[in-house]
Amino acid sequence: MNNLTNILSQISLEHISMIFLLGLVLFLGTAGGQFFQRIKIPQVVGYIAIGIILGQSGFRLITLESLKSLQGFSSFALALIGFMIGGELKINTLKRFGKQFTWILIMETMLTFFVVTILITVGGYFVFGDIRLALSLGLLLGAISSATAPAATTDVLWENKTRGPLTTTILGLVAMDDGVALLLFALATSLTGSLMGTDGSSLIMGILELLLEVGGSIAMGSLFGWGLSKLIRGYVPDDKILVFSLGIILLIIGLTQMLGLDTILCAMAMGFFMVNFSPKKSKNLFSLVEKFTPPVYVLFFVLVGAKLNIRNISALVALLAAIFLVGRTGGKFLGAFLGSVISKAPKTVRKYLPFCLLSQAGVAVGLSVVAGQTLPDPLGGIIVMVITTTTFVVQIIGPPSVKFAVDRAGESGLNVTEDDLLAKSSAADLMTGSTLIEENQTVEKVLEIFSNEDNLIYPVIGQDREIKGIISIENLKEMFLASELSPYLLAHDIMMPLHSQCPSDTPALEAFALMKKNNSDYLVLTDKKGLCLGILEETRARKRLSLQIMDLKNKANLLAN
Amino acid sequence: MDLKKIIQKDNCLILKESKKTEVLIEMIKAIMQTGRAEDEENLKKEIFYREQLMSTGIGMGIGVPHIRFKGVTEPVAAVGIYPKGIDDYDSIDDEEVTIVIMILVGENQHRQHIRLLSQIMEKLKDKKLRERLLQSQSSTEIYDIITGENHE
Repeated sequence: MNNLTNILSQISLEHISMIFLLGLVLFLGTAGGQFFQRIKIPQVVGYIAIGIILGQSGFRLITLESLKSLQGFSSFALALIGFMIGGELKINTLKRFGKQFTWILIMETMLTFFVVTILITVGGYFVFGDIRLALSLGLLLGAISSATAPAATTDVLWENKTRGPLTTTILGLVAMDDGVALLLFALATSLTGSLMGTDGSSLIMGILELLLEVGGSIAMGSLFGWGLSKLIRGYVPDDKILVFSLGIILLIIGLTQMLGLDTILCAMAMGFFMVNFSPKKSKNLFSLVEKFTPPVYVLFFVLVGAKLNIRNISALVALLAAIFLVGRTGGKFLGAFLGSVISKAPKTVRKYLPFCLLSQAGVAVGLSVVAGQTLPDPLGGIIVMVITTTTFVVQIIGPPSVKFAVDRAGESGLNVTEDDLLAKSSAADLMTGSTLIEENQTVEKVLEIFSNEDNLIYPVIGQDREIKGIISIENLKEMFLASELSPYLLAHDIMMPLHSQCPSDTPALEAFALMKKNNSDYLVLTDKKGLCLGILEETRARKRLSLQIMDLKNKANLLAN
Repeated sequence: MDLKKIIQKDNCLILKESKKTEVLIEMIKAIMQTGRAEDEENLKKEIFYREQLMSTGIGMGIGVPHIRFKGVTEPVAAVGIYPKGIDDYDSIDDEEVTIVIMILVGENQHRQHIRLLSQIMEKLKDKKLRERLLQSQSSTEIYDIITGENHE
């Protein structure tokens, strides 16, 4: 194993080009995601696992240098995630859930902060015997612990097509608790600055700076959102919309980094602006951007995994990490529960929200690095290691627990589109009618069937249920002028030849493609022996699909009451 | 539709045969001889298949065997009379059939099929016309009666 690692790390240093590495990361990452998905674990865990295997903890194929040069992709992914989350925050929903959000947000961040701070301080005191050092460590880790990673969490939501009060609450919370974490972190650094006697900026200045950062990010994001909505006014082809959007997202990343603003918050503000002030146009825009996101996400999560290094965990770090995990999990559970009880949130939120706030990643690691740079050793190094270690753990257990929660809350699969339903159905699921007309039935009888049932097309069968043709309402039109013939004419005399048929177990997407190819608006479905089962009429099938989607939406709405 | 184009004198017959099957074959042969249909074997099959589904004896002594058929391009009709009556036609009113009109249209001539049938049935509702038809002594006479204006 060691030899192998050595050989591999030698290869990696000189010989793996960046493009090759990107290809490898995308390919293996996706494969990992798919494998985990198959064993019912969220795909994001697979991406991260592949990252761990390829990265610092594993074969080191992804070196620290490549990680640094790929940093840009992580910013891109985070900005995209921010933008997509912003797009989920509709003002109406926020108004409806506003009270809930606020209470839960305050409770889950504050309780986590206090619990972690207290536990780490106590634990730190036993280890270091220095109350000021212990308290500083506690405050900083407490502040960092309040953040919840939006990326891994929302990825699970999107993967499982969830909709409902729990989903809305999670989206709102993960978007906003980073803000609270930043605030708490600013507070904590100022406090530790004076505790440790280092040159921390004053508390008021810290808060002012933070307000400026948050305000500036939101203002800039809204401005870009306004600009983008003007750009796509009128008719703009899809490919241009996509490029405009991505261009602006990249601009935001660059500008926020230059100005020291928050990229995610800014992108989120843009998404928020678009979805609320230009809702019709932005619907298409969001779905275009969403289609673009998968490779960026895969890359991002693999890199997250690659960055984690579990090789140099010391006993001290392990202990603090364990305390941190216990404190953070306990704080989040308690806070989310109390917050939802106080705000009278729906039962599902009360019960399952605590499971959804475990992930930590970008913001936490980022803050720990900031802490590591600004604080003297050993404090800085310890914080970075503790956060890295705990991130490793929660990134593995966080996503599955989100999945568990949304499944249990009954919100999985409620946010599906027609295409999603189609992908899961077979032609038989969409069959719109099973009434068959026998070819020796008189037209009189056929008219009766047409008037009693809803279909517009019926298959005509012979004695053994073999298909002979079809009769559509079109064929009957002629009969209106010659109604005196209807007792003497048979289905056989007026039926039309069959244009399309397929076995009933054909996947629905294929069935629709077949209709398109045959230029027909129906399909006669057959059993394994080729005998007639019924008919699938395109318009009616599509109508039924949209009714099903309405049903799912209603279900999600019911969960909120 | 112009019956003069659809019915030819050569397809107006005073039938020799007395049984349904033979009568139908006799009329098919007449149509084949005027070269207005192809594929005699399948034509027979289709005609008999249709009769098997339900007899085209619609009462009042009339039989209207009719099909849509690949082997014709334009609507074709043949008229046959058998005043003594075909006793095995299996009409819905159990009467013997004395007038048989065979109608063939192209495979996709759905509309022409219904219209032609409707037009001929309308014509044959006229009892006097039926009587005159049955008294006809020649193809020409049958042709003139069936394609002429109704005399009422």
